[in-house]
This record gives sequence, structure tokens and C-alpha cells, in this order.
Amino acid sequence: MSTFLFALKNVLRNRRRSITTVLVAAIGCAALLISGGFALYTYAMLADNAARESGHITIADKRFFAEEEETPMQFGIDNPNDIIAVLEQDNRIEFVLPRLSFSGLLSNGDKSVIFAGTGANISAEIHVRGSFLQIEAGDINPGKDINSIAAITIGKDLARALKAHVGSRLTLLATTADGSMNAMDAVISAIVTTGWDEADRRLVLIDIEYAQRLLATDKVSALSVYLRDDRNVRGMQDDFLTLGSGNLMSKPWSEQAFYYASVKALYNRIFGLLGVIIALLVLFSVVNTLATSVAERTREIGTFRAIGSYPQEIVAQFVHEGMVIGIAGVFIGNVMAWGAAFLLPYLGLEMPPPPGRSIGYPLLISAPVLLYVAIDALIILLCCAAAWVASKKAANMPIMEALRHV
Amino acid sequence: MTETVDYVIDIEGMSKYYALGEDKISAVNKVSLKIPGGAFAAVCGPSGSGKSTLLNICGLLDTFDAGQYHLNKTNVGGLNETERTKIRRKEIGFIFQSYNLIPVMDVFDNVAYPLRLLGKDKLQIKAETAKILEKVGLTKFATRIPDQLSGGQRQRVAIARALVKRPTLVIADEPTANLDTKTAETIVALMKELGNQFSVTFLIATHDERMTRHCDKIYNITDGVLA
Repeated sequence: MSTFLFALKNVLRNRRRSITTVLVAAIGCAALLISGGFALYTYAMLADNAARESGHITIADKRFFAEEEETPMQFGIDNPNDIIAVLEQDNRIEFVLPRLSFSGLLSNGDKSVIFAGTGANISAEIHVRGSFLQIEAGDINPGKDINSIAAITIGKDLARALKAHVGSRLTLLATTADGSMNAMDAVISAIVTTGWDEADRRLVLIDIEYAQRLLATDKVSALSVYLRDDRNVRGMQDDFLTLGSGNLMSKPWSEQAFYYASVKALYNRIFGLLGVIIALLVLFSVVNTLATSVAERTREIGTFRAIGSYPQEIVAQFVHEGMVIGIAGVFIGNVMAWGAAFLLPYLGLEMPPPPGRSIGYPLLISAPVLLYVAIDALIILLCCAAAWVASKKAANMPIMEALRHV
Repeated sequence: MTETVDYVIDIEGMSKYYALGEDKISAVNKVSLKIPGGAFAAVCGPSGSGKSTLLNICGLLDTFDAGQYHLNKTNVGGLNETERTKIRRKEIGFIFQSYNLIPVMDVFDNVAYPLRLLGKDKLQIKAETAKILEKVGLTKFATRIPDQLSGGQRQRVAIARALVKRPTLVIADEPTANLDTKTAETIVALMKELGNQFSVTFLIATHDERMTRHCDKIYNITDGVLA
């Protein structure tokens, strides 16, 4: 009889007790997989959001990342089109979007509200931001005519503050690159929501040429590089060091996504603690079951010892039984977790908006192979450890004491 | 010219004490015992006389506090548990009163277990187990589990398990106590026959006259002292 078959037969001796233990291991496994999968899905969603907003890699003047500008566009990039032309030769890059960040006042004549503007290529912006920029009203890309009035897209809360709607004429007031004030009339072409309350209160999107005209500059603040494969981020970052006149630097999205980093840190702690609690529950449950089994089989342990088994061989036998329980639990747990991952998209459940956001997000869970392998290994290891704890003492007790055990 | 006798068990002045509160109770008291190889010997005595303790010490299941014990010319007095296990694994077989078979293993696996511990290969295990099962008349019961056997059949399995590795010594503690007269006679006869065939020394603790009738040598023990 193989060691595993012997272990399986021993596990099946008291079926009800073993089934309960296997279910505890299975539920623990499923809980870890589901909570881990949910955390990973959230991380992926936030990462995607952050990367879509800033680009996979942002190229800007070194001082742009470290200092505050004294005047607008002080750290802007000169001749951005030359750099874009070079970058577009690289077939790993899908888009290079110049962006101009500025701020000022948006006025309806009666009331002025502070805005945070982005001058960008609007059609490309729609493409890269995807579903993270939801249009509430209007057309975000009505086409541009540089000689006509500027079309702007504003956040829904900014529109509400100014009692503006699609077609409303507003005035943009901003400080130019040389420090003087400039104004520009604009018409609202679309009202959008980003899902972020703070952004929706301040957002103004405008074609970059209008933004440059408003700030009286040819510079752009930064270049957002979008890659065909986001796994290339780290590898490509250093390739951009020689661009420009050497005063440029690049940063991956992850170093700029502070919300992503803080949510990840928070979730890691929450789910980490949850994981430890679940792991301890599994451990204690399996220890309890196997300790009962060990107590019932103490005479049998004495017999094995008398015949010539070493204590460690007896412990190994119980560890195999723990492994059998772990494997069975992991199998059922994987089916449960995978079933949940498969069914959730069809149920259409939504998570409530997290702090600072105005829209929720779908309750979905990721099911990466690596997570399953890691959790499965952990559960099996815990069951083996539980068996080791439960059997060690009995395996080392005096043989006569074990043989006399009733 | 003197004849040299090889003793499997050679005990000199052995004592074993148990602590009972502050008192020290002597379970085996200055026992000296020499059992030659191939003997079919019995230790007899009433309950609590120390016969089981003596057997357990002889089978290296228990330790002693004073005296000397040579098992097959090896001084086993100072051995640690690992070393004693190593000797038990190779040289000592056990037959218990309650059979002590492993309930989830079938007859074949119960009997084959000591060979597996010795690391023998599968073919060898299969052949040697089949051979001993044939000797004890259990070939056709090889796939049954202990619960599907009678008391006599279970004890045959225990005998086969004890002898399958061809040990030097077999310790049997009241092997017929749970059996009816007819079965007990058969079991004793089988043990004696196989003992002779394999030149194995049997040391049996018993107060069963059906058993002692077949023994070459009988040692009586009372209050831990050998008569």
C-alpha cells in the first residue's frame, strides 16, 4: 500500500469528521482566493486607471517631477514634436500624447471657479482614457477649428457650480508663460465624469493648441507615452534618458499613482490580516481533527513503534494525512473560488464608491494561476504543519504508554 | 571440552523500578535469564508478577534500571531509543494479545509492513509476504481487512507479521488469551512449527497451560523475581 493510499484510508476512517475538516480547509482556501482575487482585480483596475490617466511612462523636464514652477510652463518641454517624432519610430509605443497642465479661473460672467486644465489631443485622449471618462452630456470631440471659439469639456461638478450646460459660453482666465494674464472664450462641448469627486469639480479638457494659445507658449508640460505592452515599462524607462538635451527624465505610471499605491497598501494590510486569520482558523481546525485522530490511534502508533517505525516516520504518515486533507480542501476551494470568479460578471454586482469617488465599480475577482498556486500551496502546507503539530507528541511517547492507551 | 551455547537473550541481575509517589516499586528484581537461540520459552506468572515488564524489556520496548542485557551478543543496556528501534525493526517480532493489526490495511499489507520498513524492494516484499501467508494458511484472505477475520485468523496474521522479516527473537504477550481452546491449540502449534522452521527464538508471556505445554523452557516469575 502506498503512503498516500494509506493516508487516504486513514482520513476516510471517520468520514464525517474528515469531511468537516476538508470543508474548513476548502472554505479557507476559497476565502483566501476570493479576497486575494478581489484585491488583485482592484489593483489591476486602479493600475489601469492610473496608467490611462498619466500614460505608462511620463517624459518631462527633471525639475517638473521635483519642484513647483514659479511661472507656468517654466519646466515645459521645448520642441515637443521633435521628441514625439523620435518616439513614434519605436514600435513598442502605441501613442505619445503631449499634455499641457495649467490652472486658472473659469467664469460664466457672474461667477468664477478655479479649474485644473489639461491641454491635450482630445480624440487620442478619449481613446486612451476609455471607460474612465464617462460622457454625461454632449460630444467630447466636436472637431476643432483653431480660428473659431474653443470647445472645452468640463467635469460635471464644475458645470453644476457654474450652472453651465452643453453649449454654454464661458471664459477661461489663466496666467501666461511670461506671467501676464490672458483670457479665452470657450464653449462647452461635453460634460464628463471621471468618477473622482475632486477631479469632477476642477476638470477642464481643451485641445492642446488652444491651451498653448491661452498660455502663449509652444511648450508642453509633459509627454505621456502609451505602450502596446505595459510589461515593457521598466525595460523602456531608461531608453528615454538620451532624449532632448539631457534635461528630460521619465517616470513610470506606478511612481506617480499615489492613490493606487495607498489603496494597495491599505488592501494589502486588510487582506493580509484577513489571510492570517483564515490561515490560523484552518490550522487550528486541522490540528483539532488530527489531534482527535491521533488520540484514537495512539495504540496503533505504539504498534508501529514496536514493529520498528521511527517517530519521524509516524509523524510523516500523519503529515501525509494532513496533505490528503489539504489537497481535497484545495480542490474544493479552487472550484468554489473559480465558480465565484466565473459567475460574478453575470450577476452584475457593484461595489459602492470608495472614498473620494462618485461611482462604484463592478464586483469582480481575478483568478490568476500564480495566486491559486500560492494559496493552494499555503493551505496544503498549513494542513501538513497541523498534522505535524498534532502527531509529534504521540509519536515520541514511550511505546508501552502508547500500547496501553485505551 | 565445553560446548559453547549462543544465547539470544542473556540477562544478568536485571532490575526495573517504578516510582509510586515517593516509593520505588520493583517490577523486575535482579533477574538473570539465558535463552538459547531457537528456544520456545515461556515466562509464567500471575497478573502483576512482572512477566510483561520482563518481556517488554527483552523486546526493547522498555528500559531497565540495573543489570546487563545482551541481545544476540549485543549489549543493549546503554542504547538510546533510536538504536533500540533499529534493532527492533530488524531482529525482533511482536505478537500481541489483542493482535494490534492495522485496521485500514488488508492482511497482505499488515504482514508486508515490517519488510517495507527494512526497505526491501516490491518484488521481494510480494514474494516473502506470499510465502509466509501460505505458511499460516491465509493466502486466500490476503485482501481482507482485519475486521473481516476471526480472532484466530487475526492472530495468524500477527504471527505472519512477526515472522516475515525472519527475526532473531519473537516476543509474544499472552498470544492465546483471547482465543478459544481449539484455536489457541492451533495457534500455539503454528507458532512452534514456524519457530522451528525459521530457527526463531520465541519468548512468550502466558499463564495459559495450553501454551506452556508446548514450551521447551518455562520460567516462573513472582513479584518480579524469577524462580
